[in-house]
Amino acid sequence: MDIDDILREVDPTFHAIPQEKRDLQELTRAWIAERSAPELLPWPANGLFERINSNIKHQIEKVEEMTGDMDPKTNFALIVIQTELERYRYLVRSYLRARIAKIDRHTLHYLSTDALRSRLSEMELAYATRHQALLHNHYLSSFLSSFPPNLQNLNDASAGISMIEAPDLESAVFIRLLKDASVAARGVDEDDDAEMKESDIVILRWSDAKPLVDAGSAELV
Amino acid sequence: MPMYGDLGNKLVQHAKRTQNLAHLPPYQTELVRTVTREVRDLDKDVASLLEPFQGSFDPAADQATACTLLVNHLSMRRNKRCLLAYHRTRTDKLEELAWSGSDVLDLAGQQAGGANGAPAGDSGASSSLSPQEEDYFRQYGDLLAAYKGQWTDIDLTGSLEPPRDLFIDVRVLKDAGEIQTEYGAINLTKNSQFYVRQGDVERLIAQGYLQKLG
Repeated sequence: MDIDDILREVDPTFHAIPQEKRDLQELTRAWIAERSAPELLPWPANGLFERINSNIKHQIEKVEEMTGDMDPKTNFALIVIQTELERYRYLVRSYLRARIAKIDRHTLHYLSTDALRSRLSEMELAYATRHQALLHNHYLSSFLSSFPPNLQNLNDASAGISMIEAPDLESAVFIRLLKDASVAARGVDEDDDAEMKESDIVILRWSDAKPLVDAGSAELV
Repeated sequence: MPMYGDLGNKLVQHAKRTQNLAHLPPYQTELVRTVTREVRDLDKDVASLLEPFQGSFDPAADQATACTLLVNHLSMRRNKRCLLAYHRTRTDKLEELAWSGSDVLDLAGQQAGGANGAPAGDSGASSSLSPQEEDYFRQYGDLLAAYKGQWTDIDLTGSLEPPRDLFIDVRVLKDAGEIQTEYGAINLTKNSQFYVRQGDVERLIAQGYLQKLG
């Protein structure tokens, strides 16, 4: 018997926070994380953006409805709603742009394996594929097509150096611990293994921070 | 005496300079062609060097030839990298322009004054883009529009500054005609000043018609 929903009903925290607010929190977190992490993070798969889109649409409709009547009292509410709407939009825009910037920078890398491809949303995947095709075409028509055939590839790995650049997973990030955890970090001279408390903030390499963030024990700040 | 890769180096210098420029300098058609030719010549050299060996070349037995082959090999790849870097720097620039909403006409480097959205069309003036780049720019624009079109409520190309106030003071730098806002129509004549909703005028600020004050 599945009793999750029954348990959820009696859980005081579940109803205390409305869905819209939790979505906003999730978006804010995703936005902060995406902007701090050196590599592309997985696209939220739980329908977050469908909900966000419909929320925004809903608010826009509300604004349009309210603009009709110019009563000073509702006018103030209107300004509050519009301001909130602008901020909400900014979050989404900035989040999407941060992702696109990363995808554009290492397109071939993110298209190279299925695991990496799955981090992109469908739209982003379509965009990245098309963008790469455009670039390749541009190189071909500009100079590559008059090259000898064995030099026309864009993914050579001769002499052990791959032509495909990948993001630097060793760059530093700040994380805040969400629960007590032991943090193992590699340093230049020596490695460090420390017991950290909740809400501690540490700076370390992204490759060391990633397991903690993935496990939900820490978040990027 | 010019050496292999000298010209490639020039391309990289051009690319480096391009990074810090606001506009796109003219495409180095001749240089690109010469570097590409160098690659082809080197490849021919390699083929003719290897020909007498009939596929049984032993580097240890003939070190001089092996060295020549290695130098040719590396020069070709270096030239390729230089060409890729040069083109990529320029396409990055083009993409930036596409995001900020410029069109091909603006890029031709004409005067900024008469940008009243005259219908596009190749005006014969010497463009700083190669024909391939113009194609690329147009296609990327389409791609961007398609991606943007899936987020119509967000305005992806909007400002990346966090919004502080709903309304802002703007000064009109050039006549922009009349715009419709939800508070009625405003006539934007040069040197006048307005208190308007930021979302209504963002495009006009980006295009240089209005200046944000304060």
